[in-house]
Amino acid sequence: MTLEMHKDIKQLKNQVLSMGSLALDMLESSINALISKDVDSARKIEKKKEELKNYDYKIEEKTLRLLYLFQPMAIDFRRIATILKMITYLTRIGRYGKDISKITQEIALKRSPDVPINIIHMWEHIHYMISKVLEAFDKSEIDQIKDFKERDDEVDKFRWSIFRECITYMMENPQSITVYAHYIMVARYLERCGDHACKMAEKIHYMVTGTHIEIS
Amino acid sequence: MKKKKIGDSDISKSKDSQLIHDENKKNDVNNMISYEEKNRMNTNKEKIELPVIEVKDFNLWYDENYALKNINISFPRNKITAIIGPSGCGKSSLLRCFNRMNDVIDNCKIQGRVLFNGNDLYAKNADIRLNRKKIGMIFQKPNPFPMSIYDNITYGPKLHKIEDKKVLDEIIERCLKKAVLWDEVSDRLEETAMGLSGGQQQRLCIARALAVEPEILLMDEPTASLDPIATQKIEELILELKKNWTIIIVTHNMQQAARISDYTGFMYLGELVEFGKTIQIFEKPEKKMTENYITGRFG
Repeated sequence: MTLEMHKDIKQLKNQVLSMGSLALDMLESSINALISKDVDSARKIEKKKEELKNYDYKIEEKTLRLLYLFQPMAIDFRRIATILKMITYLTRIGRYGKDISKITQEIALKRSPDVPINIIHMWEHIHYMISKVLEAFDKSEIDQIKDFKERDDEVDKFRWSIFRECITYMMENPQSITVYAHYIMVARYLERCGDHACKMAEKIHYMVTGTHIEIS
Repeated sequence: MKKKKIGDSDISKSKDSQLIHDENKKNDVNNMISYEEKNRMNTNKEKIELPVIEVKDFNLWYDENYALKNINISFPRNKITAIIGPSGCGKSSLLRCFNRMNDVIDNCKIQGRVLFNGNDLYAKNADIRLNRKKIGMIFQKPNPFPMSIYDNITYGPKLHKIEDKKVLDEIIERCLKKAVLWDEVSDRLEETAMGLSGGQQQRLCIARALAVEPEILLMDEPTASLDPIATQKIEELILELKKNWTIIIVTHNMQQAARISDYTGFMYLGELVEFGKTIQIFEKPEKKMTENYITGRFG
């Protein structure tokens, strides 16, 4: 009976990893579409929302079932608790990808100024953090997440720097307000994704060590 | 407060102060959590004050069979301590040592000390009868005496020379109420105890154990032969009894141990592998072997 549970947990773990790649992929393609002002690929991202939602429902359903059927203990319990929290954060990350792709569709039509370079730098941090979180979860290690606090501070700095930069452009040229307001939102979304990565890192720390930490 | 510096332009000022405010609020909550967390982690390592029973370097053999190996454990007062482990690991043997039930087994040999309130249970001058009065025992299968409910409970007190009918009546009512059985049987105390249901019989056995005013209740799988509802009643009763008694419970049901106990000890092949707060044992055991057992990765 317990073997059955361990099989299920392993399966769940793989599903979470697939869901993670999907969420990261949504965010990544949305940023790429934003940079290249590619409306077609931006539209495709919206369709992946359904798939992401299905992962969320299916994994949640299965974890809850495991909880009441087997009442898992120790590492099994910690892993299931972590999965249950992670899928929410991953859903949010994927959906921010969708939101950014919407913005791309909005602003690509206008002959708009390019994406502030800082957004691209910020994105590099976010991409690193989400990939490392998934790797830490996969390998049950915490080495990958130990510089997250510094990275999160860095991301915050980027966000405010982008904010000021955009405000400056807006004041220079009121016609660009719409576009730069959108870019401010993109920076905001990316910053949220970074926070979600930190929250996931906290849960993974708990999963591996049994103790809670505070990153952001 | 890096954010303050970066967002220090005129335009973002109001938004910025809002953000700092939010951040402070967030920190409050986080501090609260980490404080509780720290507290919990500290108590894990806490030394047990004034233990009721202390087992020191205890060994037990049945003939050549080395059943308990160098056990050291302290049982905290007015707490529930659960002992878990696979069949044959020595849980019941350990429990039986606390009221010297192994005395009746011929080939049983012991070594080491078991201190009850600081006095060695196995000392030459130990008063076995008094100690057994102070340490009651409940078994897996309810075993009421084949007599009336009234006689079952007064049997112990009578042995200890309590004859006054009024006193005995008081004992009956007090013990049955403590065992949450009074409302169910108060109108049929003269009927035979064998007519009660399994769960009621078990509660009667608990009431019977309470009648001689023990300090400790030893329970050897008290709910193993009961249905879920009776089990729930017994568990509620055990939690209630904790206020006045120290309870040591041996159980195969890990969820039960996690639900009701304050401390848990894990035994394997006659050794005490790990002992600690229940929450720690079931959430993050220190020993790999404990983890393997409670997650079902054994063997």
